[in-house]
Amino acid sequence: MLELDALSVRYPEFAGCYTLTVPKGGLCAVIGPSGGGKTTMLHAIAGFEPVVGGALRFDGGSLTGLTPAERPCSLLFQDHNLFPHLTAAQNVGLGLQPGLRLSASEHAAVADALAAVDLDGEAGRLPGELSGGQRQRVALARALVMRRPLLLLDEPFGALDPGLRKTMIALADRLRRQHGLTVLMTIHTPSDIAHAADLVAFVADGAVQDFGPPGALLKAGRSAAIDTFMGL
Amino acid sequence: MLATPAAAQSKPVLTVYTYAGFAGKYGPGGKIKERFEAICSCTLEWVSTENSGALLGRLKLEGAATKADVALGLDVNILSDAQATGLFAFHRQDVTKLAMPTPWLDRTFLPFDHGHLAFVYDAGKLASPPKSLKDLVEDANGPRIVLQDPRTSQPGLSFLLWMRQVYGDKADEAWTRLKPRIVTFTKGWSEAYGLFLKGEADMVLSYTTSPAYHIAIEKKANFRAASFDEGHYAYVETAAMLSSSKQQGLARRFLAFVLSDDFQAAIPEGNWMYPVKRLDAGLPASFNDLIKPSRTLQFTPDEVQAMRRSLIESWQDAVSR
Amino acid sequence: MAAIAVTSRLPHPGLVAAAAIAAVLAAAIASLAGAGGTGSTWASLMPSAYLRGVAIGAAVQAAISVALSLLLGTALALALARRPAFPFRSLVMAVISAATVAPTIVVVFGVVAMFGRSGPARWLAGGLGLEMPPIYGLHGIVLAHVVMNAPLVARVMLGALTATPAEHGRLGQMLRFSSLDCFRHLDLPVIRREWPGLATFIFLLCFTSFAVVLALGGGPANATLEVAIYQALRLEADFARAASIALFQIALSMGVVMAFGLVGARLPEAGGQAPARPRPDQDARWLKIWDVLVVAIAGLFIGPVVLSVLAGLGQLSSLAEPQVLAAAATSIALAAVASATSLALALLLASAAQPTPSGGSAANRARLVDLAVLAILGLPPFALVTGLFMLLRGHVSLEGAGLVLVPLVNALMALPFVHRMILPAMRQSAERHGRLAASLGITGLNHVRIIAWPALKRPLAAALALSAGLSMGDYGVIALFGGGDLVTLPYLMAERMGAYRIEEAGAIALVLVAVAVGLLLLADRA
Repeated sequence: MLELDALSVRYPEFAGCYTLTVPKGGLCAVIGPSGGGKTTMLHAIAGFEPVVGGALRFDGGSLTGLTPAERPCSLLFQDHNLFPHLTAAQNVGLGLQPGLRLSASEHAAVADALAAVDLDGEAGRLPGELSGGQRQRVALARALVMRRPLLLLDEPFGALDPGLRKTMIALADRLRRQHGLTVLMTIHTPSDIAHAADLVAFVADGAVQDFGPPGALLKAGRSAAIDTFMGL
Repeated sequence: MLATPAAAQSKPVLTVYTYAGFAGKYGPGGKIKERFEAICSCTLEWVSTENSGALLGRLKLEGAATKADVALGLDVNILSDAQATGLFAFHRQDVTKLAMPTPWLDRTFLPFDHGHLAFVYDAGKLASPPKSLKDLVEDANGPRIVLQDPRTSQPGLSFLLWMRQVYGDKADEAWTRLKPRIVTFTKGWSEAYGLFLKGEADMVLSYTTSPAYHIAIEKKANFRAASFDEGHYAYVETAAMLSSSKQQGLARRFLAFVLSDDFQAAIPEGNWMYPVKRLDAGLPASFNDLIKPSRTLQFTPDEVQAMRRSLIESWQDAVSR
Repeated sequence: MAAIAVTSRLPHPGLVAAAAIAAVLAAAIASLAGAGGTGSTWASLMPSAYLRGVAIGAAVQAAISVALSLLLGTALALALARRPAFPFRSLVMAVISAATVAPTIVVVFGVVAMFGRSGPARWLAGGLGLEMPPIYGLHGIVLAHVVMNAPLVARVMLGALTATPAEHGRLGQMLRFSSLDCFRHLDLPVIRREWPGLATFIFLLCFTSFAVVLALGGGPANATLEVAIYQALRLEADFARAASIALFQIALSMGVVMAFGLVGARLPEAGGQAPARPRPDQDARWLKIWDVLVVAIAGLFIGPVVLSVLAGLGQLSSLAEPQVLAAAATSIALAAVASATSLALALLLASAAQPTPSGGSAANRARLVDLAVLAILGLPPFALVTGLFMLLRGHVSLEGAGLVLVPLVNALMALPFVHRMILPAMRQSAERHGRLAASLGITGLNHVRIIAWPALKRPLAAALALSAGLSMGDYGVIALFGGGDLVTLPYLMAERMGAYRIEEAGAIALVLVAVAVGLLLLADRA
C-alpha cells in the first residue's frame, strides 16, 4: 500500500500538499488541470522534489529520507527516458547495472523484458531509430528489470496517437497484473484509462481534491471542478 | 561642411602620410603641423600607418591614385624598393650641409632624422654590459636579449644587416652562437621594448637615443645604451613627395620646411632621434649623455634590396637549428 | 548547388550568403594573385620544402594547443555544470572569456606578466623548488593558445552540457549512477558530439595564429604560414606569392575540416529545459574536491592573465582626452556594425543548415555552410583586406574603402565564432519545435517571435558579446586602414606603445578588456 499523508513541497511560486492512499497492486490514474501539481506529486514520491513535511510510506516503510535510487519506485517521464547513444537493450540493461557489465543471466533478463513489451526484434536499435511508442516501451522494459514494486508514469503516452495510447495503457495494465506492481499514472484524457484504473485521483491547486473509483469520480455532477476539467 | 567658413574651405590641404608614432599624441606631428600651418596658409593633414613598411605598402596599394602629397617616414632599408615604385619626385633640396654621419646623396628621399641602433639595458640590473657586438655574440654567459623579427620589423632587419657588417660571411655562425641568449623575436619594436621593460630580457634592440626618453620624461637615468667597439648600424628616416601630388608647390615647401629649425627642433624629444642639422639652440639636455658611436655601419639601399631575401633565409636557417 | 536548385526553385538565402563569402575570399585571392609578383605561375603553387616544414610545425603546435584547450575547457565546463549553485559562474566565465576576444598583444603581455621571467608563476615555482623554463618557444605559444581557447571550449561545452534533458539527470539518480556512470552516460555523449567541431575550429585558429607565434615563439623555428604570408605581403610586396601561400593554407585548412568529416554531421538530440539540473554525482566528495581544483586551476591559470590589465588602473586618467574618447566611439560604432553583420550572416547560414519541409539534404547544406565559414580562418585578415582593397582601388579612396571593409572583414573574422555559438541552438530549436511549428503553420515573423527568439535569445546575446568584443579588439585589419578618420582603441594602444608609453597602452588595454567582460556579463543575463 502506498500512503501519502500531507506530503508537502514548497516553492516560491507553488506549494503542494498531497494525501492519497493506493492499495498494493492497484492502478491509480491521476488527472487534473495542467499546472495543478500532478508531476510534482510523482516527483515527490520518486524523490526528485525536496519534501518539507508530511509522510510517505510504501508497504508500511517510510520513504522520506531515501534517495531516488533507494526508493522502491521507477518513474517514466513523458520524454527523454532513453539515452540516445545507447541501444534499446543497453538502455534496459542500465536498470540492472549502470556500468553495463551484464552477466549472462542479466542479458537474458533484458531480452525477456524486451519480449514482454513486444520489442524482441529491436534490441540493437538506437532510440533515434525507434518510434515514440517503441521508445516508451523500452523505458517500460527497463522499469520491469529494475523490479521495483511501485511504477510511476508521468503522462508517458501523452505524445502518442489515441489508438496507440490505448494499446500502451493496456500493456502497462497487463505488466502490472503479471508483476504485481502498484501503478500511479498521470493522464490527460481520462477516457483512455477509465476501463483499466481502480482509482482516479483528481489533483488541482497542489492537492488531491478528490479520489475514488472511476465510475463514481468521473460521473458528471460530482464536483464543479471535475466537471470543468472534463469539459462537461 | 556647410558650416565651415569659406576661408577655411579655400585653404589648400597638404596630405602627409607618416607612421603612427610620428603623428600620434606623443610624436612630433602635432608641433610640426602647427608650425607649418603658421607659415603655409594651408592645412596639414596627417594620415598614419602602422610603421615604415606599412607606409610604403599603402602607397603601393594606392598607386598614383593616392591622396598623399608627401610620404614621411620611409626608412633607409626600403628606399630601393620605394624608388622602384616610380611614385616619387626629386626633392630638390640642398643636402650637402646636413649633419649626418655619412654624406647623403639621394635626390629623391630627403632625410629628416637619423640615429643608430643600440642595445638598451637597465644599469641597475646589468652592471657590465658587453663592450662590442662580438662580446654580445660570443659570451655564452652574456645577457639575454630581445630582438625584432627581420621579416616584420625595420629595426629587426637592420640588426640582420649589422651582424652582416661585423661578421660578413660568418654571420650565420654568429647567429647560431647568439641564439641561446635570444629571448624571442617580436613583430615590431614596441612589443620588444615592452617585453624588456617588463623584465623579460636584460637588453633590447633599440636606438642609442632611447635613454633620452627615460631621462626627459620619466626622469630615470638607469636606462642606457651599450656602446659597441665595432660601431653601430645607422638608421635614417626620409621624406619624399609624390609625383602624383596635386599640391606640388606646397609639397615642395614642406620638404624645405623639413630641413628648417622649426621642424628639426621637434625631432629630438618628439621622435627620440637626432635631427639632420645642427639646431641653433643645440640638442636638449636629455641627449647630453648619450653614447656616440665610434663608427657608422651601413649598407646602401640597393645592397639591402639585393641581399634581403637571401639574408632572411639564411638567418631563418641559422636560428632555427 | 545544382541539386539544391532542383529541389527548391530559389536557392536558400543562407546558401547565397555562403556562396557570397566564398566569392569574397576567392576575389581577394585572385586580386592578390593578379597584382604581380613571383607566385603567378602554376609551378609556384607547389609549396616549397620550407613552407611544407612550416605547415607541419604549425600543425603539431595546433594539435597540442587543441588537445590541451579541449581538456582544460571541458574539465571546467563539467565542474561548473555539476555545480549549478556556484555563485561566481557567470563572473568566472566572463573574465576568462575576455582572453578569447582581447587583442592578442594584450593576451601576450598578460601571459608574460604571469608566466614570464618576473611573473608570480615563476616565483611560485621557485618557492616549490621547481625551475620553470622560459616561456618562449613552442610551449609559450601553446600556453597562450590554451589561455585564449580553453574559455571558448568551456563556454560551448557548458552550454551543451546544461542543455541536455533534465530527465537524464533524474534517470541517473534513479538508476544509481556512480560518478563514472554519470560521466559515461551523461557527459561523454555530449563531449563526443561537440569535440569534433570544436577541435576543428580551434585547430584552425591555432594553425593560422600570427601575433602569438611571433611574440612567444622565440624565433623563426616556430612559425605558421600566416607569418610567411605577412612577409610576402608586407615586407616583399610579392602579392602573388602571398596569394599562393594563402591558397596553400586554405587548402590545408579545408583538408582538416574534411578530415574531421564530422563537422555538420551531428547526432540530432533534443534537449529539455533545465536551469538547475539535478545530477546524481553532485554529492560525490572526491568530485567536489576535483571540481574545486579544476575551477581554481582554470581560474588561476587564465584569470590572472586577463586581470593583469588591472596594472593599467593607475594610468586610467590619461585616457580622459578627446582623442581617446573619439577612438572609443569609433571602436564602438565599428564593432556594432561588424557584430550585427556577423550575426545576420550567421543566422542566414544557420537557417540554411536546418532541415526544411521542401526537402534537400540538410547535412550537405550544413557541410557547405561550415566549409564557407571555416575557409575564412584560412585567409589572414591582412591578406583579405589587401586583396579586397586592390579590387576597389581606383574607385574609392583607402579611407572610403576602410569604412566598409573594416566592419565587413571584422564581421567575417568573427563569423566562425558566432556560427559556433548559434548553429547548435538553432538546430536544437528546430529539432525540438520544428515539426510542431510546421504543423501549426507558424512561419515567418511569427516563427521568429514565438519559436526562434526564446530559444536563440541567450546564444544570440553571447554571440553578440563575443563578436563585438572581437571587433573592438581588432588590430590586424584596422592597422591597414587606420590613421586617418579611422582611429580605434587598439590602434591608439599600438601608437602609445610605439611612443614608449607602455603604461598608457596598458590603460587602453584595461578599457578594452573591461568592455569585453561587461558585454559577456550582460549577455549572460539575457
